Order: sequence, then structure tokens, then C-alpha cells
Amino acid sequence: MSIKTRSGLPLQRVYMAERGEGERPGEFPFTRGRLSNPHTRTNWIQRELSGEGDGRRSNEQIRYLLDHGQTGIDVIGDAPTQSLLDPDHPLAREAVGTQGVSLCRKQDFLDLYKDVRFDEASISSSVPAFFALAGLVLAARAANFPFDRLRGSILHGPLYTEDCSYAWHLPVEFRVRLALDSIEYCSRHMPKFHAYLEDTYFFSESGLTPIEEMALGFVQLRHLVRKLVARGMAIDSFAPRIAFLLNCGMDFFEEIAKIRATRRLYAKMMRDEFGALNPRSLSVAITSHTSGLSLTAQQPINNVVRGAVQALALVLAGVQALEISAFDEAYRTPTKDAHIVGLRTQQILDLESGAAKVLDPLGGSYFLETLTDQLEERIRARIDVLEAMGDPETLSACGFFREIFHRAMEEAQHGVERGELSVVGVNVHRMADEEDTLLRGVTTCKIETCHRHTETIERFKRERNIARLCEGLEGVAVAAAGSENIVPAVIAALDASATIGEIATTMRSALGMPPDLFDHPLPNRSSGNRHVA
Amino acid sequence: MSREFIALAVMGIDQHENGVIAVARVIREAQMQVDYFGKFNTPASVADRAIRGDADVVGISCHSWEYVRLVPQLVEELRKRGSDIPVVIGGSVITPEDGEKMRQSGVAAVFTSSVDTDELIECLRALSKSRKRAVPRESGR
Repeated sequence: MSIKTRSGLPLQRVYMAERGEGERPGEFPFTRGRLSNPHTRTNWIQRELSGEGDGRRSNEQIRYLLDHGQTGIDVIGDAPTQSLLDPDHPLAREAVGTQGVSLCRKQDFLDLYKDVRFDEASISSSVPAFFALAGLVLAARAANFPFDRLRGSILHGPLYTEDCSYAWHLPVEFRVRLALDSIEYCSRHMPKFHAYLEDTYFFSESGLTPIEEMALGFVQLRHLVRKLVARGMAIDSFAPRIAFLLNCGMDFFEEIAKIRATRRLYAKMMRDEFGALNPRSLSVAITSHTSGLSLTAQQPINNVVRGAVQALALVLAGVQALEISAFDEAYRTPTKDAHIVGLRTQQILDLESGAAKVLDPLGGSYFLETLTDQLEERIRARIDVLEAMGDPETLSACGFFREIFHRAMEEAQHGVERGELSVVGVNVHRMADEEDTLLRGVTTCKIETCHRHTETIERFKRERNIARLCEGLEGVAVAAAGSENIVPAVIAALDASATIGEIATTMRSALGMPPDLFDHPLPNRSSGNRHVA
Repeated sequence: MSREFIALAVMGIDQHENGVIAVARVIREAQMQVDYFGKFNTPASVADRAIRGDADVVGISCHSWEYVRLVPQLVEELRKRGSDIPVVIGGSVITPEDGEKMRQSGVAAVFTSSVDTDELIECLRALSKSRKRAVPRESGR
């Protein structure tokens, strides 16, 4: 298809410096863009984060989004799901289904993905990876969809989850093992699936700078890649299915430069340090969510604009998938209205703005190229400093990373208070509460706790076949205590009616830990003491 | 004179800490003493620890609607133990109606994200002061 401007000037897909010198998009080191995939229907996978209540309610959300043009699915689990707790856990009851979908058993996944065409949409989720993987495999099996054809991703952040995301109450070595086992399982059985999404989004929402975000992301990625290689896996057997999930904040050009620098760093690292040969192993796919942290509770309509600006940066940087954090982010997971605004923003960028007609349209800009070089250098230098500190798992266990995240949380807010960082509606151009009413109603619309689902789970637990359940959990216990890949055991247990809470407690027992850490309060579970003046 | 002592906590399985950690710093910089109890607290565990530490104010950070159930329980747990430590809450998820409900259930102050720092500090000082007047206690901290 020919592309042209509104005046009718023909456009090339790629522009180069005079005499065609310099790097081309899709060529090593991929600063200017990944290998392009001619098969994608749109320029990037367009999706919005969804999930609330039980699997059925979330399935309605998914279908609504797909009906309105969404091309991928990204579902977020509620706080209990993310924390490996069942809805009937005493600490979880009030949080069931309010900040994501409640998933704890096979049937929940079947409800969630009911009638979803797995060949038409890629399936991603912000749900503990080993569990999301097991659930997806069972849902595909139930739909008779061959799971070697599944597309989508699972995300891993084993070094950092306990510190600034939902805690699993599992030791770092075991979290790393779960990540490695999941990646290994997918590389064997699900060749089209992105087995390893290096998720820098969740931890950079602590307020990290783009340089710090990427340095920590690469530290984790390099650690996991080394461990996979040490398992005897050939780099080209899994590297083609590594992708990044990055954050995108308000610093427009720095975010674009970050993505370009990330592709370049990754390509050089894979080729020169890990010896990858397959071009797909060198050119990393990048998905990004616009920053929830950059959104404000004040004047929520301004968040629509923030989302559009950040999404434009991502389109210009050439990402493979995109999600816009919704305008009601400060209050809740997105309403239907917020979903449609996010999706339409992407569609306008794609179909009206022409921003994606030309690959890497800002390539060659004096400013952006300089910034890209500087970011590459600074990220690289910071990786070296962090790696020189010692084994990342030890650093994670002793709270080294937690300190970094907590400092970032303090600093981010402090910068706003001192006025070093302008945030419209917060420290500049504020508005009195009574005047700040636009979109207020829809933004603060609450999601009620899904007590009905908890009752369903209680009934389910009473009525299931206990012998099968015990057999399933025994398999998890044996696998957890041993060294074989744990994923098949998790799939089998889930299939045998075990729940995520039971699988997690079984894992803890097998590791010699108290099965439910909430029964064993730890005095210093956070960095609390540091805050005593 | 002993400094004001503010206990901060997140309850239930709410695990959003950005707000509470930023607030801890603001309070510390206003020369008050802060103890952040961290995540995964229950109303009873917060009440016990706040009383044991003789806090002047307990501040709960709310970024999940669990607080609607848990905060009134915290007030109750404190009062059950004969403590008059005032409870304040803050967080972007607090709607005006829920804020009012919380006040009715005994919460001393509700801060939404539009609060400014001076206002917050002033309120914590005032609450600490009125409590210090009401309950004489040994010096030492």
C-alpha cells in the first residue's frame, strides 16, 4: 500500500541520511527499530489493561474491548491474586475483585477467556507468571486450541516483586526459579509466546528515572539470561521470545531515546556477551504502558492528555504494543469510559495522525541521537556499577534494591513539593475542589468487593474431589523440593482443582517455610525502621 | 518537650507504598518522629503497636477500598484497648462520601490527594498537642 501525506506527497517507509549512510530500521543494532513483522494488522498491538470482579465480569470487559478494536488482551489480577492468596483468605476478603480480576482456580481462567479467539488476539496478563501460564494453557486446552500457537506474554520481576509490587512471600531464589522454569517451559512448548517479558514498569512506578529503570531492568534480564544459559539452554532457543515491558513518563524525548538506547544495548549485549546469532534474538520487542504515576487525582481529564502525549512518544519510538494508563488510574482499574478513551487515543494516533507511517521518523535528529547515545552510555555505566555490587539475588534478599525503590518514592514526591517538577493541577495551576468536577463522577466510581465470588470459591472448595486435589498438590510439593521444571506440576494441580493459595502454601511448606506468612507476622517486613527519625 | 510521634501504616493487602513513604519523609522533615509499620497490618496489629509505642497519632495510607472496612475496625480496636490515639487517613481513593463515613466512625481527619503539606503537618501537630494535654505521661522519649 502506498503511503502519502495529505497533500499527496509520496512517503517512504524509511528515510536515511544523504547517500543512504547510517543505520537502517530493522538492522543491527536496531536503534531505529526492530525487525518489522509484515503480518501485524496494525502498526502495534493496541490494548488497555482490564479486569474487575470475577472471571465472567472480566470476560465481558475483554469482549467489549475486542469489539471496539482492541488487538491484544492484558488482564490484571486483583490484589489477592497478585499476592498468591485465595479470596477466602482472612486478609484478602475485602480486596476481592476491586483492583483487578479474581483468579484462583482453573474455572476462573475458563470464565475469563471464554469465547476469546486465541488466534486473533495476543494474551498478556499482570498476574504471577507461573500461574498465568498454567491458567492460559488449561484455557487453551479446554478450547481445543493448540497451545504451541498461543501468542502473548507473561512477565517476570523476581528480583524486585517483593519490594515494590505484590509480595508473594516466597524467597528470591525460588522466585527466580519460577521465572526460569516458566521461560524454559514456554520455549519448549509455546514457540510463538513471549515467555519472558522483562517488566520494568512496575518497579519504575516507584519514581525511578529512565536511566535507573533500564539499568535495573538489564541487571535482572542479564541475571536470568545467564541462569538460563547455565541450565544448558542455547541462547537462540529462548532469546527470540524475550521482550521488554517499559514505562513511559512525561519526559517526551528522553522516553523515546530510552527505547532506542534499550534496543541498541540489548542487541550489542546479546551478540557480544551472549553470542546470539539469530537476528530475532538481537532485536528485542518492546511493549510499553504509559505511566500511572504521572497521572493525577486532581483534574482527571488532564490525564487523557498525558496519555496521548506519552502514547505519541511510544509510537514515534516504534513499540510493538501499547497500553495507555486510564484517566481514572488514581482511583481504580479502568471504567468502561476510561477504556474507550484509551483505546480511541491509540486508534487516532494510528489512523489519523500518520505518526506511524514512517519508521523511526525522528532518527537523525541531532538532539535525539545525542540523547540516545548518552542514555546508552549512562545505562551501561549504571549496569556495571550495580553488577559490581555482587550477586543480584543476595542484593535482593538483603534489601539493597528496596532501598533504591523507597528512596525513589520519597524523591519523586519531594520533587513535586519543591516545585522542581511541574505537575499541572498539583503544584501549578491548581483548582479548588468544588471547581474540579469535570469527569469527577466517572473517575471516582467505586468497584464493590466481589463477596459473591468468595462464596462461590468457598462452595467450590467444599465440593471438589479431595483425593484428586491432594494428588495435584503432592506433585507441586515434590517438584518444589526437587529440581525438575515445576510448571507441569502447577498445571496439573490447577487442573486437579487446586487453587493459587494452596499451590503457594504447598510451595512454602516444601521449602521449609511457614505455609501462610500472615499467621507469622514478621517484625520488619518493610523498611519501616529506617523511617524512625 | 518530647516531639510529636506519628505512627504510619498500610493495612490489609494494600501494597501501594509510594504515598506513605513520601508522607513519612514530609513528617520527618517537619521535625516529628515517625514510625512506619510497613505493609500487611491488621486493625489489631496496628492498635497494639501504636499503643506500645505511645504514638500521638496513627496515620493510615489508603490506596485500596479495603480501608472502608478496616479503618473503623482500627478505631474500635484502639478504643477497646482504652486508647484515645486519634486516627487519620489519607489517599487518593477516598471519595467525599466515604471520607464523611470515616469521620462518623471516629476518624479525626481525612486527607485526599489535594491536601497540601502545611495543612497536613498543622493538623498532625494540633492532634498531637490536644492529646498531650489530655493525657499526661512520663517523659523519657
